[in-house]
Amino acid sequence: MHSIYEIVSPGIDSRFGIAHAEVWQQLGACGTWWTGNERIEVMKEARAAHSCELCAQRKQDLTPTAASGSHSAVSDLPEEAVDLIHRVVTDPGRLTRNWAEEIMNSIGEEHYVELVTVICTQNVIEEFTVALGVPLPNFPDAGEGTPRRTRPDGVGDVGAWVSQSIDKPLANVSRCVSLVPDSAQHWRRIVDEHYSHGREFGDLVWERPLSRPQVELIASVVSSLNECFY
Amino acid sequence: MLRASGEALESEVDIHTIAHGAYVEFGEELVSFATHVLERNPGLAESRNILQELVGDAGLVEAAATVAAFQGLNRIADATGIQLDDGLNSESADFRSLLGLEKFSGADSTKKTETTARSESVMGIFR
Repeated sequence: MHSIYEIVSPGIDSRFGIAHAEVWQQLGACGTWWTGNERIEVMKEARAAHSCELCAQRKQDLTPTAASGSHSAVSDLPEEAVDLIHRVVTDPGRLTRNWAEEIMNSIGEEHYVELVTVICTQNVIEEFTVALGVPLPNFPDAGEGTPRRTRPDGVGDVGAWVSQSIDKPLANVSRCVSLVPDSAQHWRRIVDEHYSHGREFGDLVWERPLSRPQVELIASVVSSLNECFY
Repeated sequence: MLRASGEALESEVDIHTIAHGAYVEFGEELVSFATHVLERNPGLAESRNILQELVGDAGLVEAAATVAAFQGLNRIADATGIQLDDGLNSESADFRSLLGLEKFSGADSTKKTETTARSESVMGIFR
């Protein structure tokens, strides 16, 4: 597996290149609830959401439902899936439980969670390239196969909008997509590479290129701009 | 985590001035870089260059990795409607209202604690 950055920026390779390349390829693989082809369509829709006129208008409005119309869709995905993708990408701070339940009633809870996991993992890798000024990676090849559509044991209502692991070994955010374990595994790997670094997360003093306060300042600013309460 | 990690280093960190760098070393430049990434505006290149001069190549990559991680973490938290962990709920009680965090849509998922209780460890915050 080659890094997705080796041509444009060899310096990034050692830490992120291989992990990104492996996870990126997995995003295009057949999932538990969506096929490989469908997941590629999801990724294309997520990237296109940044230039959606309806999303741009809604971002300016006091409420996200003030502007009517259709998203500038680039796929044949169900309308509810397109709305989910565009709103999570462009206006995540104003999502509501009622809206999420309407989407889940249409496409299914497990489909909802897998889709969210795919686009959020994609988002981390793409935002990294935007931040460093390197080109966005080409979409991966679609994997073959048929989704198993199996729901894991040990998940249920823990007060969030979606079912999650009843056991809580770590932070709530670490189990938020546990309803779809295969996709959650890739998500956790990316977060670990970028931020938590395994057991190091428990240390308040980090020996990294940036100090922990510097890292947490960035985290606070991004979360504030995204209006993320968590 | 910003307040707790600042205290661990016995450094001055002011969470009320996050938008201006919170007195963290190179805080203003880190905030500027993160803001420009989120806005995807033409000022990003200059902001990136300034930060790179201050923190070096590895520091810049770390900053980019952190911005990217929280872009995804914020979205996955908001889309799944998770609640604050009990420790995080107690830890942040004294500054949530002050910083206007209660007005965020995601606040509806959590029954808020009014009394601040500081944790002694990172894992305690996320209990």
